[in-house]
Amino acid sequence: MAGDVEVLSTRARVGRLGLAAYGAFIYVFLFAPIVLLVLFSFNANRYGTFPVTAWTLKWYRDAIGNYQIHDALSTTLKVAAEVTTISVVVGTAAAFPLVRSRLPFRNGIRVAFILPIMIPGLLIGVSLLVLFTGSLHWQLSPQTAVIGQSVYTTPFVILLVAARLQALLPAILAGALLAFTLSLDEFIITYFLIGDRITLPIYIYTQIKFGITPEVNALASMLLGASLLVLALAFALPQVMRATRRAFRPRAGGVA
Amino acid sequence: MNTVAEPEAPRRRLGPASASYAPFLPAVVLLGGFFLVPLGIIVIYSFWEVIDYNVVHHWTLGNYRYFFSVTAYVKTMWATLWVSVVATAISLGLAFPFAYWLSRYVPRRLRAPLLILVVVPFWTSYLLRVYSWLTILGEKGLLNRFLQWAGITHHPIGLFLYDRSAVILVLVYLYFPFAALTLYSSIERFDWDRLRAAMDLGATPLKAIRRILVPQVRPGIVTAIIFVFIPILGEYLTPQIVGGTGGVMIGNLVVNFFQAAEYTRGAAVSLLIALFILLLLIVFRRSLSAPEAYGG
Repeated sequence: MAGDVEVLSTRARVGRLGLAAYGAFIYVFLFAPIVLLVLFSFNANRYGTFPVTAWTLKWYRDAIGNYQIHDALSTTLKVAAEVTTISVVVGTAAAFPLVRSRLPFRNGIRVAFILPIMIPGLLIGVSLLVLFTGSLHWQLSPQTAVIGQSVYTTPFVILLVAARLQALLPAILAGALLAFTLSLDEFIITYFLIGDRITLPIYIYTQIKFGITPEVNALASMLLGASLLVLALAFALPQVMRATRRAFRPRAGGVA
Repeated sequence: MNTVAEPEAPRRRLGPASASYAPFLPAVVLLGGFFLVPLGIIVIYSFWEVIDYNVVHHWTLGNYRYFFSVTAYVKTMWATLWVSVVATAISLGLAFPFAYWLSRYVPRRLRAPLLILVVVPFWTSYLLRVYSWLTILGEKGLLNRFLQWAGITHHPIGLFLYDRSAVILVLVYLYFPFAALTLYSSIERFDWDRLRAAMDLGATPLKAIRRILVPQVRPGIVTAIIFVFIPILGEYLTPQIVGGTGGVMIGNLVVNFFQAAEYTRGAAVSLLIALFILLLLIVFRRSLSAPEAYGG
């Protein structure tokens, strides 16, 4: 009997260790490619990969001095700002009746609003391309890309705000952050709708179609850093807001 | 007084109702006008044809017939379904033991940070995550460079890149966080004592898993399948960047048709993707809406 228990606990321990090792493997799998990318961005090797010949900041200087990147960055930020504004305003407005009132067809409306999340972006891109150029005869521009991206980001804001109407301001901020992030990263809708302008994802895409370049490694590392910074801010923000509210409570009398 | 107040009543009833629809209006314009209407146009386009780069309003099944008459296209369609099924299965297969480990063996205070860590890659750029694999698998990537540097080969091996397995690997990498997150939230709620109880009452482990575990985590599994399978069906970038000619998927066909101004043929192929999504949702509609699946 005692031997039996011993065997079982050994097996349990082995199983536990095995699972922990597996968990570690998953994190290595998730982060190794990203870590390597950042590592190679400091590598003097002009192929941008192994082996590391010497450490350098040259690729960062190149990327920062590249005016095509400046242009793409400013277009990306302008588009993202407009997309964020549209999706927050439209999405927040729509979230209220969706939750609060007992409207007929509420479930139907809900499904229709959430459909753009279920449909691949590719379909949104090509169908809007046909609408804009084939039916409306509009000139493709960053504005048409803004419309296309908003179709895709607004449902996320609706979902987020509808789920947390009690805490409206944090929900709106989270929605704005999500819309902004999705917009920065959006490729396929923008690719079809922006005409002859480029955003950062499109610039990167045209560079990497033919393989690795160290300058893109540097650009990628800076973008990764920026998105991690935004993520950290997003996690810090609720705490900051709570602290601010606490600080103002005696005067504001709980209104905030 | 009563005679004055009475005509007010219906108006008051109408007032709040229309007022509560009003906030929908911008969303209806945006999502109706720029999502549903264009999808409708795509449906119509798929039954028209392009002659000399002009869309002609001739009703025809020609676009669909053409697609199914070209062997390479049909093969690509089946390959896309295959890649989607395999990548979804591997993602879920990897995610299940991971979620199990996280919910059962990790101390409570470490769970949230470890879960956030899984989602962090999702917050970084999609394109860059695909690109990061080029630095490993590419012709000048880590694996090939390492093999050459170590003197094992003298020429880069194309083996690691530009085929279907590279596409599947990268897709698994991209969609694993979705699968892990959804599976975790349903596994976390599962009461493992019930499984033990079933086995104490004489059920074999396999039977206990099938009868107790699977029905209760099914909503999580279905959500994971939907959130992984559907976007993979419409993938364009991953096969484009790491797939080469061997890894072409149906999304690449759509883009090729539209870039060649073959709008009506492209529309037909896009609708095939939409059709597959619709079929999937119909298959899973019961699991999606069954409250008893949550153990209620």
